[in-house]
Amino acid sequence: MKMIHSRRDILTSMSSGVGWLAFAALAQARSGLAAREPHFAPRAKRVIFLTMRGGPSHVDLFDYKPELIARNGKTASLGRDSSGAKLFGPVHPFAQFGESGQWMTTLYPKLAKHADELCIINSMHTDLPNHAQAFGQMHTGSFQFARPSIGAWTLYGLGTENENLPGFITLNPPADNGGAQNNGSAFLPAICQGTRIGGSQLPELYAALLKKDVAPGPPMKNIVSAVPRELQRAQLDLIRGLNERKMEREGVQPEIEGAIASFELAFRMQSEIPDVLDLRSEPDHILKLYGIGQGKDQFARQCLLARRMAEAGVRFIEIASPGHWDHHNRLRELLSTNCAATDQPIAALLTDLKARGMLKDTLVVWAGEFGRTPYAQSGDGRDHNHKGYSIWMAGGGVKGGLRYGATDEVGYKAELNPMHIHDWHATILHLLGLDHTKLTFNYGGRNFRLTNVNGEVAKGIFA
Amino acid sequence: MNKQLLILLLLTLGDFATAEDATFFESKIRPVLAKHCYECHSSESGKSKGGLMLDTKQTIRAGGDTGPAVVPGDAAKSLLLSAIKHSDPDLEMPPKKPQLPKTVITDFEMWIKSGAADPRESAVKVAKRLPVNVAAGRQFWSYQKPKQIAGEIDAFIETKLKQNGLTPSPKAEPVALLRRLYFDLIGLPPTPDEVAAFLNSSHASNKTYEEIVEELLKSPRFGERWGRHWLDVARFAESNGRESNLTFPHAWRYRDYVIDAVNADVPFNRFITEQIAGDLLPAKDDTERARLLIATGLLALGPKGLNEMSKAQFAADVADEQLDTVMRAVMASSVACARCHDHKTEPFSQEDYYAMVGIFKSTQTLYGNWIDSENNNHGHLIHLPKVNGQMISGKSLPANRVKQLRDDLAKLNAEEKAQNEYIAKAKAEGRDISAEFNKILTTAIRILWSRGGIEGALEAVDDQGHAVPLCMGVQDAQNIADSPLYERGELSHPAQAVPRGFPRVIDVSREISKTQSGRLELAQWLTSREHPLTARVMANRVWRHLFGAGIVRTVDNFGFSGERPSHPELLDHLAIRFMDSGWSVKALIKEIVMSKTYRQASTRRADVFDQDPDNRLLSHANKRRLDAEVIRDAMLGVSGTLDITRRAGSLVAELDGQSVSLIGFNTKLPSDLDSSKHRSIYLPVMRDHLPDVLEQFDVANPNLVTGDRDVTNVPLQALYLMNGPFVQEQAAALAKRIQSAPNRIQLAFELCFNRLPDAQETSLAETFLRNSSGDESKLLAAFCQSLLCSAEFRFAD
Repeated sequence: MKMIHSRRDILTSMSSGVGWLAFAALAQARSGLAAREPHFAPRAKRVIFLTMRGGPSHVDLFDYKPELIARNGKTASLGRDSSGAKLFGPVHPFAQFGESGQWMTTLYPKLAKHADELCIINSMHTDLPNHAQAFGQMHTGSFQFARPSIGAWTLYGLGTENENLPGFITLNPPADNGGAQNNGSAFLPAICQGTRIGGSQLPELYAALLKKDVAPGPPMKNIVSAVPRELQRAQLDLIRGLNERKMEREGVQPEIEGAIASFELAFRMQSEIPDVLDLRSEPDHILKLYGIGQGKDQFARQCLLARRMAEAGVRFIEIASPGHWDHHNRLRELLSTNCAATDQPIAALLTDLKARGMLKDTLVVWAGEFGRTPYAQSGDGRDHNHKGYSIWMAGGGVKGGLRYGATDEVGYKAELNPMHIHDWHATILHLLGLDHTKLTFNYGGRNFRLTNVNGEVAKGIFA
Repeated sequence: MNKQLLILLLLTLGDFATAEDATFFESKIRPVLAKHCYECHSSESGKSKGGLMLDTKQTIRAGGDTGPAVVPGDAAKSLLLSAIKHSDPDLEMPPKKPQLPKTVITDFEMWIKSGAADPRESAVKVAKRLPVNVAAGRQFWSYQKPKQIAGEIDAFIETKLKQNGLTPSPKAEPVALLRRLYFDLIGLPPTPDEVAAFLNSSHASNKTYEEIVEELLKSPRFGERWGRHWLDVARFAESNGRESNLTFPHAWRYRDYVIDAVNADVPFNRFITEQIAGDLLPAKDDTERARLLIATGLLALGPKGLNEMSKAQFAADVADEQLDTVMRAVMASSVACARCHDHKTEPFSQEDYYAMVGIFKSTQTLYGNWIDSENNNHGHLIHLPKVNGQMISGKSLPANRVKQLRDDLAKLNAEEKAQNEYIAKAKAEGRDISAEFNKILTTAIRILWSRGGIEGALEAVDDQGHAVPLCMGVQDAQNIADSPLYERGELSHPAQAVPRGFPRVIDVSREISKTQSGRLELAQWLTSREHPLTARVMANRVWRHLFGAGIVRTVDNFGFSGERPSHPELLDHLAIRFMDSGWSVKALIKEIVMSKTYRQASTRRADVFDQDPDNRLLSHANKRRLDAEVIRDAMLGVSGTLDITRRAGSLVAELDGQSVSLIGFNTKLPSDLDSSKHRSIYLPVMRDHLPDVLEQFDVANPNLVTGDRDVTNVPLQALYLMNGPFVQEQAAALAKRIQSAPNRIQLAFELCFNRLPDAQETSLAETFLRNSSGDESKLLAAFCQSLLCSAEFRFAD
């Protein structure tokens, strides 16, 4: 019986290609995830993913359907799902915006000023109308299995632009709907998984920003070195030495290699993170632009943080919307609340990125896990609808002012240029310069991809 | 005549099936399928990877997720052929093995081109996805009763290894094994003396492995470790979470109940019954009555939509959460998905769901939170019988304060009455009072919110103001009734009432009382020997905690969308043994940890890596990252600061007020929730406000039934270990503990890793201590902290 004694053994047993490179990079703990060449020239270098959890109502926001308005109150005949339910027109008016005449809700007045920037995809569809599964599929391509998140794939494919920061950051991710799995690396090297910042940590930061924090502290827990830096470096070398000794004794252990890498990364993060997270260096006009310091401003702060992180070289940044969009009832009221809470910060993010010349290579994505039915539920709400819904993207090489694809006449089912989650993922990877069929990782004998065996790149949305 | 030529000839002659076809299939095709494919694609193996089954004519033609495997006459469209030809790099079959011989591939090509004659008509068994139908559902492995098969753990494991050409690993090194056992059973590392007692036959208290197993199972520390596993499943928390995160100051009683029950090895069937229907069981005295009431806390601890305005909606959501928790925890089933429609992938109908909803809706849930700005649903609490030695965490009030509160309450009630009469009068007189609307509303809200707090305070004390013993839990409601089925789950669409009962796919019947909620019958139904899931699910949970992965890896999902067992016979064996032993969890654990399989070395093997990278076959033990609580407890243990006594009550019980969102401003709360010296199971578990160490090291999300925690490895963990105040403190304590020892480095290694350092490690340590600057004690603490940060400290080999 042969025991594995060298890393070489395990490396040679893995398939060559990107998978090997990732593993080799992981083994080179000091270099972490060095930037790597994409498969072809990228249009976008990074992604800011605004997750609108709960399933925002596309027929009220971005999918303008005159027929639905006309047939408001009529019985929907959309198969067994809608049995007897009544069609329900948009609860707030639509209007056209920008030179492109982009149709969208009037609930997003500030975002509407960027109408010519938005590439609205009206023909999204996903496999299941359940939150947890659809949320998982939106992130990982799979609603069934623990698979790497799109952020992890991005990092795996491109490496990081700044080795002193995590390459994939998720701010205050929702704990439900699969929780950490949605930002996980699954079988990809552990270093690709999303680093979560938030939960109980950010409020302290906000307090610091508002200068209301009576006990000034670090912007993030455990970020300040507890001992002098030289001593900590020596400590780290000792830890590393012990870990390497353990591997020499017992053979290859990816978990321990991951541990070594994460200590090195942590060490470097100590110097970078506090700067990135400290919004106090931002001038007043920027704070005002995002709406920071005005009422509930957590989301505004996150949007500004996202820009700062993008600037600092974080590859994939995810933010969850402040509320959920699961509007089974009181749609009229709750939709305005949610839009009001997200309008200014998102618009500000686009303005700010553009002003800095970053919008052209930063892909901003606004998406929920599915949409909602064109027929009513509980009087003034809508049920989940996975057969057709809308998202938008901006910057990063997509064509602005575009409505891509279409649902049927009432907004129920994607019909023209339907874009499945796999297609959407393939398209995002393509924008990042990655061929989704080549971005593979060999796990348990099979080359896995984000897009499984599917996915068509929607070249029609490229600028 | 050459068979291939014959086939070609037949092909040119036209499509007619002959005896030759069948022979060709039997001699050239079936053996290859059976040998190379059935393992992952047949009803016999229970696997249909990629949704593909190759063992019947129907399924091979229907194909899997990516399309038909075989299209008669069309070689190009037959994915099976391209898979064995390796023409698509993403679909190369058989996986991880060299390509099949050319002749075999040609055989398949011929066979397909000639019409793919396939005699396996009669073999149709289980379709890829069963329709939601009871009869078909009962054919599924997990809905069938466990089958008694002779054997023992090692034999089941070794047989399967052998079938795959693998062998088990040798025994683990004694120290590695002992550490594994200690971490697994009590969640603490052995002390140097305990190691010596195991290793040296000359040691005064020398013990065999089995004696140590016995001792650990009897240790009170066992319940603190295995009780935590159940608390994960029970989604235990001391606050509500969600949008109204109010504290549950009495939840700790349930925590202690679980620890005690696990230590007492309360038979698992009884344990389940107590938690679902303790209030309906007879009790021999007040102590037992109190215990049984506390047990029902399981049903009251869930996250609720407290700010829901509609009482009916709130009741429906609470019942749904209870049903979901019980079904996932006990049966690893997602019955609750059938709330709005028949289950899409499992044999559960909406009738099944509403039959059970009737049980929970006939139940009153008592969870404590009173009405205030965040809560519209007063929860009340259960008053426990007074028992000697009982801990009461509430605060007493001076008697005059009680009187004051009652007066205030009476005043508010009078005020409300007056306002209501005023409105009624205005209405009767047709007088428009809309101008006063704001004033009226403000008054109404003030009354509502002030009254909530007063009622909450009064409920917690007796007439003299003495705090009374309270707990969360359930009782039968006044109104015992069946629930209607609600179309699409909408309360506005009630359909016919569904008699209370249980999912029909489980072939166990139990009549439900007309005068009780039916929770007792639910518990009896779940714990019936005839129930196919309860014992299996628990045995699998135990297995997962001892090996790092379940026999069914989706430990909380035994349905169609879950994984199939790697060793179905073994799982059945364990389930039956478990029930035969009187549902003794300790006996089950003992049987497993005494097996050779458990005691194997964890060294990764090159010969296994290719074939079984996930170690599903258990050719060796798994190396496992320790759970958050174990990492923290181990630090307290090695630094000598662990307070092994039970923490009385909970920090949460000592907070005033009920809102967690205001906790940031609560000066009573330590900024670092980790700071106590008690074992981690006693740390406060407030939803969305967890102690740092738990959060960083993947504690179970207390909103969800969790039988299988995540294991992540991220820089935030490293930051916690390097800079967290708790770790600093333990490192300093450890440094103090070793500073005057003759060989500090050796002692530190013995304490942390139960072994001496080797030459290289000694030199690393000496170099660190010699070359780094700083004062002596700080340097030693930094050294100790490095040991706590090392991978070895938080992994069990």
